[in-house]
Amino acid sequence: MTINVHKSKENIDIEEALGVIWTSLQRNEDDFEKVSETIEKGVSKNITNILLEKNFIIKEKNKIKLTDAGEDLGKQLTRRHRLTERLLADVLDFNRQDIEKIACDLEHNLSTDLADSICTLLGHPKQCPHGNPIPEGNCCKNSSSKIESIVVPLSKIDIAEEVTLSYIVTTNHDYMHKLLSIGLVPGTKLKLHQKFPTYIVKVNETQIALDGEVANLIYVRK
Amino acid sequence: MSKSIAFVGNPNVGKSVIFNKLTGQYAVVSNYAGTTVDVTRGNITIGSEQYQVVDTPGTYSLMPLSEDEQVTRDLIIKEKPNIIVQVCDMKNIERSLHLFCELALFKIPMVLVLNMRDEAIQSGIRINIKKLTEILGVPITCCTATTGDGVSDILKIIPQATVSNLNIEYKNNKDILTIENVLKDKTSIAKALSVYLLSGDKDIKQYVPQKLQEKVFRLVSDTVKNEYKMFAAQIFHDNNETILKIVSEVKKIKHRKHKSVMEKLGNICLHPFWGTIIMLFIIFIMYEFIGVFVAGVVVDWIQTKVFEELINPFIANCFDYLGTGPVVNFIKDLFVGQYGIFTMAIPYAFAIIFPIVIAFFSFFGILEDSGYLPRLSVILNRLFSLVGLNGKAVLPMVLGVGCGTMAVLSSRILETKKERMIVVILLSLSIPCSAQLGIILAMLSSVSYKATIVWLLCILFSLFLVGKILDFYVKGESTNFIIEIPKMRIPSIINILSKVKMRLVWYMKEVVPLFILATVGLFFMDKIHLLTTLERWFSPIVVKFLGLPVETTSTFIMGFLRRDYGASGIYTLAQDGLLSGTQILVSAVVITLFVPCLAQSLMVIKEHGIKIASIVFVAITTYAVLFGGLLRFLLSGF
Repeated sequence: MTINVHKSKENIDIEEALGVIWTSLQRNEDDFEKVSETIEKGVSKNITNILLEKNFIIKEKNKIKLTDAGEDLGKQLTRRHRLTERLLADVLDFNRQDIEKIACDLEHNLSTDLADSICTLLGHPKQCPHGNPIPEGNCCKNSSSKIESIVVPLSKIDIAEEVTLSYIVTTNHDYMHKLLSIGLVPGTKLKLHQKFPTYIVKVNETQIALDGEVANLIYVRK
Repeated sequence: MSKSIAFVGNPNVGKSVIFNKLTGQYAVVSNYAGTTVDVTRGNITIGSEQYQVVDTPGTYSLMPLSEDEQVTRDLIIKEKPNIIVQVCDMKNIERSLHLFCELALFKIPMVLVLNMRDEAIQSGIRINIKKLTEILGVPITCCTATTGDGVSDILKIIPQATVSNLNIEYKNNKDILTIENVLKDKTSIAKALSVYLLSGDKDIKQYVPQKLQEKVFRLVSDTVKNEYKMFAAQIFHDNNETILKIVSEVKKIKHRKHKSVMEKLGNICLHPFWGTIIMLFIIFIMYEFIGVFVAGVVVDWIQTKVFEELINPFIANCFDYLGTGPVVNFIKDLFVGQYGIFTMAIPYAFAIIFPIVIAFFSFFGILEDSGYLPRLSVILNRLFSLVGLNGKAVLPMVLGVGCGTMAVLSSRILETKKERMIVVILLSLSIPCSAQLGIILAMLSSVSYKATIVWLLCILFSLFLVGKILDFYVKGESTNFIIEIPKMRIPSIINILSKVKMRLVWYMKEVVPLFILATVGLFFMDKIHLLTTLERWFSPIVVKFLGLPVETTSTFIMGFLRRDYGASGIYTLAQDGLLSGTQILVSAVVITLFVPCLAQSLMVIKEHGIKIASIVFVAITTYAVLFGGLLRFLLSGF
């Protein structure tokens, strides 16, 4: 397993820019001028031309498009970035404000293998702490792995096991809010009371009943 | 002007109990979250000062994103109470402190009431009140509201309410200050507004002073740059850190070795096997008590002894004094004729339904206050999820076995329109009310044991078939099942009685007029011979398709007025030997599936509008008849 990949400044810039373009395209922002302005400001001045030259992006009628190679790099970078955020926030308990900066440095130095290992360790998270989706890696598709996840969905733990809530994965604000305010706050200790007919967890002195679907959104650390 | 006080707190912490005790008013109290869905108002006097008090629906948080929580927050912003009394569950101080942190942003004088002291002590939880008072900077007192212990102390601390001096170090404090400074001179809730705006709350925008709106909104979007969710998460995180620190200083837990009896009972009710046994046992008791004893014995006694022997002759005599003549005869018919107000509406309302609802409300009150119902929804959640509902729908469905009309009303507790619609249709189609159930079972048991089983299977089959179809076709979302399970408690008789009383007052105001209205309608239908015409129209279906004698036609029409009335019509026919075993079974199934009674239909119209109610009505009638025909065909084939 290759752990660290040394990259030149130019390669780092390319990755950085492709990451930005990839996320912009995900948000359906594909105006060539706007996107290139963002990356030239944020990454380096000449970056648009380099990307065009190296055939990572193409310009089609004012729209920016990624080539297959560009798409792959951008997606992988985003994946590494968001996984790093998860790792920092959930396992290493970093301050949320510092996460972004560290993730930006680390993301370039992770190999695909290492990213997959982190992904498995964290129980194949689907969202970064900001709530953006984490692109799937190979490890998520074939979940056979030698590494045991330390963060798993509530549905995967045993009855009577005491665990700590790591994070909740959902894009639905109402659920997130409801779960948080009912007492399922990251960092709280939970005890699983039963799994059938519904999940029942004990948080402090309160029992909360959840269905299986919700139990799959709640990630806990053993 | 008198000062105003708002009672605020998490769901099911006892706000309403304290409100009732202090104001002498009655707001409905139960042992599950969400009993209070609207605000209740009252007055109290402390010393020589008068206060207006308002009880609010329970809320976990004032932060945006959930509709029911807005009621409380909007009240705080709009009415700007002089004092906030936050009621807390002493066992669950962490959660209360989350709400406290949010309330503190409004800079309104507060006091804290730690309720359920008895349960906290039982759980081995000790809170250092003196220290907590120091940290939060507001007066605090403890009480056990259900027993009244310590409640009067609340009155002593209310006049001493102060603005909390708790200062949470928000990581985003700079951003908050930027907005706060702009708003500071124009509104007293600048800090709260800033936090909500930065958290992406759209509803709060209206409370920003008009002149500042443009500037503030631009500042907000420049500051947060679409990372509203992250901002809200950070606030929550910071609050949480503060709370954990506070709790570690003031709370001590001494773990008990033994679980209390109520706790054990509570867990047994959640057990997949024993929970099911307990459920069946409760259904059995309910059926015996309401269906057999009250709906049978008591109703019969009131009907014969009170109405037929005392009231009816008296009223008939009164009308005899009026003499005769076309106008007088018409009035007589309207009041004491076959479909008269005194012969039909009043006896129906008071002789039949009144005792049944009293019995049911009392029984249901015990279930509500003990904390059993949330546990029942856990047991039945999976079953309900087959038809696009979740365990929460248990409450209206259980109520439906008592009275479908009540049940339609209580479907309001469900979160989405789709869920409410499915429940209301299933209630109309397949849930017989207690009185009807009693008569049908009596009728079927006279045929054979097998007939009862076939009837039950037909009803359950229809319930799930139609539920499945509705789940597929009704647009909208099904929600996930997330509920808090309260502790089991021994219900207080006084609370149950006052709750029954309050619901009876509701019944008198809402249902009795409906009955009179319906009877008058029936009276006119009879006068213009619409009733006999209807009978003539429908007899081909009844006789040819369902294979029933023509006499049953009128019982189906009566079944619409009252479910049990239709059933008793068929029962009488069966007793007279006019129906074969197959015919009894077919008619029992049809009358169960048949349209809901008038009162329930009117309630469906009230809740969902005339258009949907008509569609439901037509669909259910068609289904009931087709199903009955099919059953007849199958039975005659064997």
